[in-house]
Amino acid sequence: MLEAKNRLGLIFFPAFDWCISPTHPEREERLLYTQDQLREEGVFDIAGISEYKPEVAGREDVERVHFCFPNLEAVTTTSHMVSAGGAIKAARLVMEKEEEKAFALVRPPGHHACKSVHGNRGFCNINIEAVMIEWIREHYGPLRVAIVDTDCHHGDGTQDIYWNDRDTLFISLHQDGRTLYPGTGFPHECGGVNALGRTINIPLPPHTGDEGFLHVIDHCVLPILEDFKPDLIVNSAGQDNHFSDPITNMNFSARGYAMLNHKLNPDIAVLEGGYAIQGALPYVNTGIVLAMAGVDFDAVREPDFDESKVRQSPQITEYIKKLCEGMVGLYLDPPKRPKVGDAEGEWFVRDKDIFYDTEGISESQVEYVRICPHCSGTLKLETWSTLNPLSVGIEVPLNACDECNAAGKRLLEEAHLKGNYRVTQYINRRERRYEHYGF
Amino acid sequence: MYLGIDVGGTHTDAVVLKDGKIVASAKVPTDHHNLFSSVSKALDSVLYDVKPHDIRRFNLSTTLSTNAIVEGRTEEVGVIVSSGPGIDPENFRIGGFYHVIPGSIDHRGKEVRALDVAALDRAVAACREAGVSVFAAVTKFSTRNPAQENAIAAAVADQADFVSRGHRISGMLNFPRRISTAYYNAAVWRTYNEFADAVAGAAEDYGLLSRINILKADGGTMPFSVSRDQPVESILSGPAASVMGTIALCDISEDCVILDIGGTTTDIAVFADGAPLIETEGIEVGSYPTLVRALKTTSIGVGGDSRLHVVEGRVRVGPERNGPPMALGGARPALMDAFNYLELTDLGDVAASRAGIESLAALWDTFPEKMAREAVEASVTAILDAVEDMIWAINAKPVYTIHELLADKRVDPRTLYVMGGPAMAFQPLLSRAWGGRVVVPENYAVANAIGAALTRTTVEAELFADTEKGRMFIPKFGVEEAVGANYRLADAEADARRHLLARLGEFEALDEDPEVDVTEAGEFNMVGMRGERGRNIRVKCQIRPGILK
Ligand SMILES: [Zn+2]
Ligand SMILES: [Zn+2]
Repeated sequence: MLEAKNRLGLIFFPAFDWCISPTHPEREERLLYTQDQLREEGVFDIAGISEYKPEVAGREDVERVHFCFPNLEAVTTTSHMVSAGGAIKAARLVMEKEEEKAFALVRPPGHHACKSVHGNRGFCNINIEAVMIEWIREHYGPLRVAIVDTDCHHGDGTQDIYWNDRDTLFISLHQDGRTLYPGTGFPHECGGVNALGRTINIPLPPHTGDEGFLHVIDHCVLPILEDFKPDLIVNSAGQDNHFSDPITNMNFSARGYAMLNHKLNPDIAVLEGGYAIQGALPYVNTGIVLAMAGVDFDAVREPDFDESKVRQSPQITEYIKKLCEGMVGLYLDPPKRPKVGDAEGEWFVRDKDIFYDTEGISESQVEYVRICPHCSGTLKLETWSTLNPLSVGIEVPLNACDECNAAGKRLLEEAHLKGNYRVTQYINRRERRYEHYGF
Repeated sequence: MYLGIDVGGTHTDAVVLKDGKIVASAKVPTDHHNLFSSVSKALDSVLYDVKPHDIRRFNLSTTLSTNAIVEGRTEEVGVIVSSGPGIDPENFRIGGFYHVIPGSIDHRGKEVRALDVAALDRAVAACREAGVSVFAAVTKFSTRNPAQENAIAAAVADQADFVSRGHRISGMLNFPRRISTAYYNAAVWRTYNEFADAVAGAAEDYGLLSRINILKADGGTMPFSVSRDQPVESILSGPAASVMGTIALCDISEDCVILDIGGTTTDIAVFADGAPLIETEGIEVGSYPTLVRALKTTSIGVGGDSRLHVVEGRVRVGPERNGPPMALGGARPALMDAFNYLELTDLGDVAASRAGIESLAALWDTFPEKMAREAVEASVTAILDAVEDMIWAINAKPVYTIHELLADKRVDPRTLYVMGGPAMAFQPLLSRAWGGRVVVPENYAVANAIGAALTRTTVEAELFADTEKGRMFIPKFGVEEAVGANYRLADAEADARRHLLARLGEFEALDEDPEVDVTEAGEFNMVGMRGERGRNIRVKCQIRPGILK
């Protein structure tokens, strides 16, 4: 009988009774064929692979991470709490050493959900990786975490949440934003004022194949991880780089995904996007599961796989080689200040506009971050959208210094005094205070 | 009248029941080298004062297939598989004649790569040369499309006495399990059929005109004729006979646990809402997981004959056994000797038990009473810990819908039914430690044979429909029908029910008023990459296991 080299926990939760709409890509059918394939392969019988139920995330787990406007109930449904709970279960298994690794095969996804949430963007409402990572830090201390986002779309939500966090390294590999939603994720976006070099974006040209992705892992991601020395590596395992994906233009294969996970060796993987539900997901997920468990995945491939059809061009190979040369340098020696935004006294200020494609909501933000050499800096986020009038979110980070903590409290008082915000949300991670004012 | 025979590891039990009352019963030692002679002796004994032609039904639970597998008395099988991409099928190699043929079917049942006919011919020729005459034909996703399995079966037909096709054993998805199940089915086929011929002959000689049914591990029976093609389903039916016996003896309608405390092991089964729980996939046979449906049972190495020993100053019970307890002439003290010492039982030679416990206590420099008490307590703790672990695992079982996750239905048993030799002695001890009701049913010593006699015939099947392909398929029955674009879950459930009852009708007069349970049902909107639409429907249903009134 097959035996896993690494004990792997699978949180397989296809949510067979939930959809955005009956024909939306995020519908009941999405993980059906993945389940068929995993069952037919006998994956759950491999010694060392165990299947678990998700937990249901609590409101405190979300409110620790997000500013929800006008409130949590308005922007989430049970499905989101279960999906985030699946990620939390994966983390619990690994942190309690019940399993060596864990893979949360859950839906809906989360990596387009930003710090401030007014609704659904890119099929995401809450950022399930961030909810998971902050749950870990709440219960197991301030770990250094690296998130490697291998979804084809730029993980703009995760980037936004960790923009100023110097203890979280966020690396996103994605199809170049000039050719795909959400249109961001360029190398110059490399972190906020207190966390420069902690966000690394690697935009890849359309039709990048296995060779290109694995080159980036070998020559960019692994050297950076080597230096950052994370306590935990998380793979945001989107599967829409697959050559058969209907909404993207990449040439990545199931075997390539398996190889990527073999090299990256993540502690936890969380499923993100991927909508070639018949031609890609069953094989990609089987590949990732086997790779994480340390079981031979050499014979895993798509039934119609033809290497010559998905091989990348020499020009792409050249382009990616050049791109990687610059990226490690950007991490080691980032620019002195972010490209977008300005310093105003002790605050660094930038304006942002966020569009929620699924629901057609437009949000505008002014983000103030306290410039601080000692911690990730207190954040004030003023936001208004086509749904919600001017509101504010204030966050004191987990590693906040005394001054930043005091600044956070001052900001909250000011918000109360001025009274010009419809909703005020206050997250004080240092003091574990989570407060909501207004309606 | 109903006749039940349970061929167990040590004894063969037989009962004849009339209107729920025992009118004849027998217990004869099981002869491992000749199981048929044990059956025949048991028949001899119970038919002594019963008129054979009054017997309407003869149900038999036998360890024949299990023993053949455990003792390696099986036949060489030509195992011919096609896999396509995925985990390397070399990992599932079984037996000495395992051939992998290129060919591939995907999860929707589409043939992606045709079977390599030349390679198949070579495999068939190799089996012919080796003189192999029973076969297993298994292909990946054959429960979605059996074409390649059928082609392999056709290729070996002229040199095969028997071919076991994977999709006819179970409609479930699990390629490695399908391989091992089909393999074992073919491997025991000849031995089983020789036994079946002998039983049929004996029944005729005794003038038994009734239907004969064979017990399965899932708490149901299959008709004799079916068992000849599916002998693998007769394995490990012993625990099921005991469990079904408990249902017959007690009126069970709630969550409960059944303990069958034997000589070497204690078997634990769990009921939810009065129905026995079934293993999600199937039981393990000879260290291979299979698709053979079975009641969910756990077995721990604690029983009346379990040896007592001391590890790190603590008394342990089992899991090994060194012959019978000293009360019954054994050489070393066993659990029943501790019960005897404490005067909880008076089995056999109580003095021998006392002497054994005293000498073991002396060896470890402790008081014999303390030693006996610790042994008894350790056995009770081990049993109740195993019960708790099993219930925890049942409640932790994954679910796949938000509705089920939030409903969080839990099994919460409040009653413990205890059977087996030492049941009465354990009753007060378990009662104290468990905190719930502990019941020892009347006639618990022959519960297994009663269970065998009264177990209903069951059938289960999976239906798979794909309206885009316009096709409905029930692998186990080999039923394929065209369906229209408007085919819905309700239609699929009705079809599954209809075919299940029709199948049962072939075996039974349908006077038993069978109940059909739909155990899984799902309907999925399919939206293809080119906008094509359809519904993917899955239904799993069963005749509910139960006992005859
Ligand atoms: Zn994506
Ligand atoms: Zn600070």
